[in-house]
Amino acid sequence: MPQNLPNFSGSVRLKYVKLGYQYLVNHILTFLLIPIMLGILIEILRLGPDELSKILKSLQFDLIQLLCSSFFIIFIATVYFMSKPRSIYLVDYTCYKPPINFRVPFSTFMEHSRLILKDNPKSVDFQMRILERSGLGEETCLPPAIHYIPPTPTMESARGEAEIVIFSAIDDLMNKTGIKPKDIDVLIVNCSLFSPTPSLSAMIVNKYKLRSNIKSYNLSGMGCSAGLISIDLARDLLQVHPNSSALVISTEIITPNYYQGSERAMLLPNCLFRMGSAAILLSNKTRDSRRAKYKLVHVVRTHKGSDDKAYKCVFEQEDPQGKVGINLSKDLMVIAGEALKSNITTIGPLVLPASEQLLFLFTLIGRKIFNPKWKPYIPDFKQAFDHFCIHAGGRAVIDELQKNLQLSAEHVEASRMTLHRFGNTSSSSLWYEMSYIEAKGRMKKGDRVWQIAFGSGFKCNSAVWKCNRTIKTPTDGPWKDCIQRYPVHIPEIVKL
Amino acid sequence: MAEVSFICKRTVISTRPVQPGKFFPLSVLDHIMEHNHLRIVFYYQLPVVRKIGELTMKLRESISEMLSSFPIVVGRLIKSPEGRWMIKCNDAGLRMVEARARVTLDEWLRNVDREKELKLVHWEEMFHKPYFWSTFYVQITEFETGGLAIGLSCTHLLSDPKCATMLIKAWADTTLGGKIISPPSFRPLPSRKQEGDTPNHQPYFQMINHYKSVFGKPYAVSDIKQTTFTLEFKHEMVKRLIEMAGALPNGHKQELTPTPFEVLSALFWTSISKAKGIKGSLIDMSVSLDTRRKLHLDEGFFGNCTVYNMVKGDGLNENEVSKAAAAIKEVVSEMNKDRVMDLIEFLEQENIENPPWMTGYHLICANLENADPYSAIFEGNSSPVRVSYYLEPAVGPGQVLIYPSPGGDADFGRVVMVTLGEHEAENVLNDALIQQFSPTLLMSFSKELS
Repeated sequence: MPQNLPNFSGSVRLKYVKLGYQYLVNHILTFLLIPIMLGILIEILRLGPDELSKILKSLQFDLIQLLCSSFFIIFIATVYFMSKPRSIYLVDYTCYKPPINFRVPFSTFMEHSRLILKDNPKSVDFQMRILERSGLGEETCLPPAIHYIPPTPTMESARGEAEIVIFSAIDDLMNKTGIKPKDIDVLIVNCSLFSPTPSLSAMIVNKYKLRSNIKSYNLSGMGCSAGLISIDLARDLLQVHPNSSALVISTEIITPNYYQGSERAMLLPNCLFRMGSAAILLSNKTRDSRRAKYKLVHVVRTHKGSDDKAYKCVFEQEDPQGKVGINLSKDLMVIAGEALKSNITTIGPLVLPASEQLLFLFTLIGRKIFNPKWKPYIPDFKQAFDHFCIHAGGRAVIDELQKNLQLSAEHVEASRMTLHRFGNTSSSSLWYEMSYIEAKGRMKKGDRVWQIAFGSGFKCNSAVWKCNRTIKTPTDGPWKDCIQRYPVHIPEIVKL
Repeated sequence: MAEVSFICKRTVISTRPVQPGKFFPLSVLDHIMEHNHLRIVFYYQLPVVRKIGELTMKLRESISEMLSSFPIVVGRLIKSPEGRWMIKCNDAGLRMVEARARVTLDEWLRNVDREKELKLVHWEEMFHKPYFWSTFYVQITEFETGGLAIGLSCTHLLSDPKCATMLIKAWADTTLGGKIISPPSFRPLPSRKQEGDTPNHQPYFQMINHYKSVFGKPYAVSDIKQTTFTLEFKHEMVKRLIEMAGALPNGHKQELTPTPFEVLSALFWTSISKAKGIKGSLIDMSVSLDTRRKLHLDEGFFGNCTVYNMVKGDGLNENEVSKAAAAIKEVVSEMNKDRVMDLIEFLEQENIENPPWMTGYHLICANLENADPYSAIFEGNSSPVRVSYYLEPAVGPGQVLIYPSPGGDADFGRVVMVTLGEHEAENVLNDALIQQFSPTLLMSFSKELS
């Protein structure tokens, strides 16, 4: 007992020391500026008005000097405002909610698996073990073509799925934001595994009769992190084109990618990937600054493809029977950890408060100069961000990140619950997670959100958003009818 | 020419996830029907002609809605440690097959026979591992110009004809109005212990002996090709038949008027015995009844409540329909609550290891009058134009299924579906006595061209 008390009081004292240190370093400018201003004020008061006017007269301001200085100041100000990047606002976004009769309970999934893979009981058992530990719930949805026995992934059904999923999201978005099709200047679609001709972006232009001078882009093959790549591309385009709106669609079409073979490493995506899509409206117009939900602060992209192991860790290939599937290597988690480290090394200086950066710098110098055995200091990102949206790639990813970034259960709640309710919807999962946080009423003005996505390549991309206005509940979104049930406890293993 | 083309097979699930960990044990009446399965077809002529596939999609959505109230239908069979069947409510779903027929409904109904009609109901025999085997199968076949056939097949372990009809009615209610008018009830059969009755009477042995007689009998197979035909008897004709059967040889009337079931079953009993070449007596017949009302169970009781009893044919002449009807009436009246409870007790104590073939050794005459299929309305006012019931597999001396005919509630109109060997079926169809009552031949059989 007595041993615990000193530890407790010691840790409390340490906490207050830490708080004090953070407050001091983060507001150092204020701390320095206030005494200086006070000093000047006291000096002015001391001198009195007569003395002041005498000092001013003695400076002998010439008219030319005055004009040059003011022009100089105005010039600097103009250059500053012109070169400042435009603010990119996220006006609103919507997520697709599949109809409830597309859902796939665990037992149905396993039964289909057994009927299709009847010659490979080991593969079926493997799938069952994955599903038991996956963290998915009983309401995740697969497209109609996969409900058939056997599945019929034709191009027509893939297009059908794309149409349902994308058009529903866009219709909702247009209702919410009131934007007209002719006002969309930039259209970016990202869908990694399904890339028909004409592209999905052409499909959208055709359906909504968008303008003929629209700047449309279709990103395919870029994996689950492509959502943030699209946001990055939209941001760059909106810097160049003033007064424009960009529509970004992030989705993954499941129909053509259902692996029908029996290689274990390639069966994993079948168990985790589910239907979903998100439509996001970005704008650089000043009049949207009032009604926008978020403002884009940073996008940081890290590509580890130069390393062979990272390049091959998520690889689409044919199995020995000639069936195409995505092979996930065993070092996926290790590579993901490396990619994350790279990414936070870049994003850290941009977002961390000065206190954390100083600590990190000191430990770094210390390790280099004094003692390499010092533990590297992991900056506390909880101080930089209020909400975290970690790509719901799988339970292992979320667990790993929670450990590495030392996040609490509440921070990763949005990711875990999205994985449970919607499964891994690939690039759109980040938006389902944002939607969860909003639906829970936790999003307040000024809150900073960090979206992290991993994808094949191997890439780790981050985006930082700042909430522009408090989002009031109840929100209209995919969580509308079920948010009151969440959070649920997800058992380690669900017995099937 | 293949008129029915298969489009796809899929699994449909309920809209509400089932809470895991629920089990539902099957009763003794369920267990003895293990070898049988049912196949039912409901035909509709809908007023609105839609694009192909639109109706199927609408029905798929409503069946998912309906299945939320039937967790047992979407569960799977497993055996308890004691070797008894039970259902694990694991939310696995039921199989749905979608098909298309390139003829109009009228054309189809004119030319249909047993083989063709069974194409409208998909069925799969139980797998070696029943845990992955769907116990219910639904087939939706769209005809040209708004015709629709809904086929339902299920193992008799879970449902008797009344129960299967109730499932389709629930589906129809959900499609039409969004909710089920008479929800199902899932509970065990009543037991004497529950009700505190102590039987101080002699147990009724005839029914128990009938069941005993089929225990231990080998696997039933049929060596002759069986075929099915359907006859419809109009209300007036059945009334005339009742009058005829109610009249005793000495000109007086019997005390109790026979019911339509009794007279029609007597009529066919005598005719079939004649067709089989039996003279001087009638073959033994097994009569089956739905005992929900007798056991004071509500109409929504889910499970088997069908009980069989033997009507002996000795001492009856193949020309005396009235006596036959009286014999049937006597047997039916003995199937009251007490007797059925005796039977249930006997079966519970018996612990049958190999389930018997209830329909494999005697001529079966099934009373499906309680089934009420015509209230299953999916759209508008379109009640089914025809309903067919099949008690599979068709082995044994023959089957006669009697149920109401469409159009009219307290009507005496009845539809009779007879399954016999081809040769016997021809004889029965041409029987003068039956033809006296001018039945409409709804479904005939195509004779094999020798």
